Amino acid sequence: MKVTLTSSDNQTFTVDRDIAEKSMLLKNMLEDVGESAAPIPLPNVQADTLKRVIEYCEHHRSDAPVPADDDKSKDAFDSVRKRADDIEEWDAHFMKMETDAIFETILAANYLDIKPLLDLGCKTVANMIKGKRAEDIREMFNIQNDFTPEEEEQIRRENEWAADA
Amino acid sequence: MGDIEATWAILHPGVDQILNRLLDGMSYTNWINMYTTVYNYCAMGSTSGGAEHSGSTSTAMVMGAQLYKNLRSHLNAHLNDLVLTAQRDNLTGVSLLQFYTQNWNSYTTATTYLNHIFHYLNRHWVKREIDEGRKEVYDIYTMSLVAWRNNLFAKVHRPVLKASLKLIEQQRDHNHIDTALIKLVTESFVSLGIDESMSSRSTMDVYNQYFDQPFLEATRDYYYVESRRFLATHSVPEYLKHIESRLAEESARVQVYLHPRTAGPLIKTCEATLIGAHVGVLQPEFQTLLDGERLDDLYRMYKILSRVPGGLNSLRTTFEEHVKRQGLAAVEKIAQESSDAAASAGAVDAALLAIHRQFSEMVQTCMEGEPGFVAALDKACRDFVNRNDVCKSGSSKSPELLAAFCDQMLRKSSKTEAGEIEETLNHVMTVFKYVEDKDVFQKFYSKALAKRLVNGLSASDDAEASMIAKLKEACGFEYTNKLQKMFQDMGLSKDLNDAFREQVRQHQEDQMTGIGGNSDLVDLNILVLGTASWPFTPPVTGFSYPDDLVKTYERFSRFFTNKHSGRKLNWLTHLSKGDLKTNCYKQKYTFLVSMYQMAVLLQYNNGTAFSWEELMQSTEISPDVLKAQIGNLLKARVLTVTSASLLRGLGEPGSTYTLNLDFKSKKIRVNLNMVIRNEMRQEADETHKHVEEDRKHLIQAAIVRIMKTRRQMKYQDLMSEVLTQLSTRFRPKVPDIKKCIDILLEKEYIERREGEKDVFAYVA
Repeated sequence: MKVTLTSSDNQTFTVDRDIAEKSMLLKNMLEDVGESAAPIPLPNVQADTLKRVIEYCEHHRSDAPVPADDDKSKDAFDSVRKRADDIEEWDAHFMKMETDAIFETILAANYLDIKPLLDLGCKTVANMIKGKRAEDIREMFNIQNDFTPEEEEQIRRENEWAADA
Repeated sequence: MGDIEATWAILHPGVDQILNRLLDGMSYTNWINMYTTVYNYCAMGSTSGGAEHSGSTSTAMVMGAQLYKNLRSHLNAHLNDLVLTAQRDNLTGVSLLQFYTQNWNSYTTATTYLNHIFHYLNRHWVKREIDEGRKEVYDIYTMSLVAWRNNLFAKVHRPVLKASLKLIEQQRDHNHIDTALIKLVTESFVSLGIDESMSSRSTMDVYNQYFDQPFLEATRDYYYVESRRFLATHSVPEYLKHIESRLAEESARVQVYLHPRTAGPLIKTCEATLIGAHVGVLQPEFQTLLDGERLDDLYRMYKILSRVPGGLNSLRTTFEEHVKRQGLAAVEKIAQESSDAAASAGAVDAALLAIHRQFSEMVQTCMEGEPGFVAALDKACRDFVNRNDVCKSGSSKSPELLAAFCDQMLRKSSKTEAGEIEETLNHVMTVFKYVEDKDVFQKFYSKALAKRLVNGLSASDDAEASMIAKLKEACGFEYTNKLQKMFQDMGLSKDLNDAFREQVRQHQEDQMTGIGGNSDLVDLNILVLGTASWPFTPPVTGFSYPDDLVKTYERFSRFFTNKHSGRKLNWLTHLSKGDLKTNCYKQKYTFLVSMYQMAVLLQYNNGTAFSWEELMQSTEISPDVLKAQIGNLLKARVLTVTSASLLRGLGEPGSTYTLNLDFKSKKIRVNLNMVIRNEMRQEADETHKHVEEDRKHLIQAAIVRIMKTRRQMKYQDLMSEVLTQLSTRFRPKVPDIKKCIDILLEKEYIERREGEKDVFAYVA
């Protein structure tokens, strides 16, 4: 069975149901409402982002489903999920995109409730920050420094132990 | 965005539709819109264009509390409306149950929708609240169940329960009911068991308190009345069947619409009310069923009473008494039919076996071989085997009869087939197991065995060996030791005879080549038996070997002394026998005679008439024995007595005995060696006396053995220890043990402790 997805800018994508069900949002909705030929509007996702998300889902089509909250294997799953340095080659390549696009993808994954993609996005951002000075990070993400010099000094002192040698 | 009023205004109609008109259907668009609204509200308006940073330190904050509260109030209001509807329509009974279950179904479906639509709230706000330890915040689905419990269930559970129990009662009265209603009710009660501290875990509290307990009470009340009504108009066997079907019904009930954990308590309740309360009525009926041999009913009663604690106790006693009565009655019947105890040995044992077989089959089929009944059967059998009409004189009579029965079976004359013998011996062992005085059996059995061996009357060596093996298995090596030695002696004697014959032959050849004379030796078959193993006593009479035998006698004595110097040979002349060939009649006969008869008859080679004194002098046989032997010869008309002598009486001085030259017999081989009945009786009495003697030794030996290891012992303890040690052989009588203690005190094996009452000490 195929389902049709409509992006916020009114482009339609037709995908297999199991691809759509990588999104918990769509999975739950299809379970509740049942199948129909009607298109499914996704008002929070733009076409180019949706296209990327579908590409990701299609590649990961045969992955094991995310365990439910009360599943015993969840802890083991989480410990793997939280490591930032084990990104698969395809995923790493997939995430090579503009910073804006990365954030769009993360938001879409959060809205559509696709845990692995949300994790991948967050890991990618974490890797971007790692080893950089605060000033560089501010520049990269266009963040204004709203600390006073005293505040900044205090934070530095408190976190001295974590700084590189 | 982020405005709760606006957000709820969008969500409200959708929630309403889901709760009230879900059957009208819902579009993808509506569903996604609601989800997106919740998402947008919770994510605080960071809708799109993510690169525009959401700004302040509150990024990490997740909105949701107000949304959660709004939804909860809406659900509460919805449920309160439902309650009002039910109250307004004054719903009771089945219509109440229909109302409850229909609404339960649609409510749980609706809240599954809501749980999905508010999933973003679950994922973030609810999760964070729970992680921070806030009580009374649950995921949306659980929250909806709590709302149902607090608003609807709290107000209707009593009438719902009442209606459910009413329905169940109708079903118990065999009316048709809609079981799906009760199934849904119990399922909803189970679902409402929410663990307050951990919402993902469920408890059975609600079901237990609001359904299970009242249900069990109703069950008790129902069967309390029902069982009494049924018993008032039906017989006990009918009632047993009734219980059986009721228990099956109740088990099925659990399967159909109750929670599985109710099964145990429900059956327990039924058992207590249907069975436990009526044990006093049911148990006495057991005797009637036994009398009627109603196996199906017996089995049913066993099965049913085994369900309640102590239910079988009185049945076991009744059973034991019954078996005992049957056993005694069977023996009594035989005792009346035949006054001859020895002849009825087989009949008694066969009857005991039949009783044992009948009831052990009953224990297997009707009582499933339950150990308590097996023990009761054993006890009853032990009782009637050892103490019955035929064995009035004491428990030692039974083993005597049993041994006699074995003898009948193992004798050549018995007409039984080999396979049949084996089977019968197995049955004998069954009865043997119950015999208390196993030592008496041993004595009589070895006596009988000795006779079979010496007289060559054994039907088959295999059967003999098999029986000994069985006894050995039952009582141990020591018990059969002597019996086995007897067989060994038989084998050794055969070799000895061969050796003796060989020597005689060689000797004869030597003589032939030398002087060329002939031999005066008769053909001899001798058995040399160990005194310790064989239950024979030396002859009571003197004996002078007749001339024809004396050479052989001396020759063998020499031969044996050469072979085994230092061993003493005792000749058991009273057990010896031989063949005599006659030359005095037209027809040549062979007389089978005892050694004593032979000695008498050989005298008649020298004359045709001898007086009593002459016979006594030449044979040196004592008067009593001689009288009996000659009596046999007279009876067979080999000898005759003059009428003058007859007047004086047999064995009187001066009476004369003449060889009957007109003797005639249809048979060529004539057996003159008849056993005298009187002798047999005497022998049995003697054996009993021997047993008594042996027992005294065994008891004394046991006491010494015990005292030697314990050094010091109380009278009571010593007594019970002796009883247990000897119980495999026989059951010692307390006075006998006392007597033995006295003997040992006298012999100074043991002494009384000074100053202490009833304490004995071993004297080294």
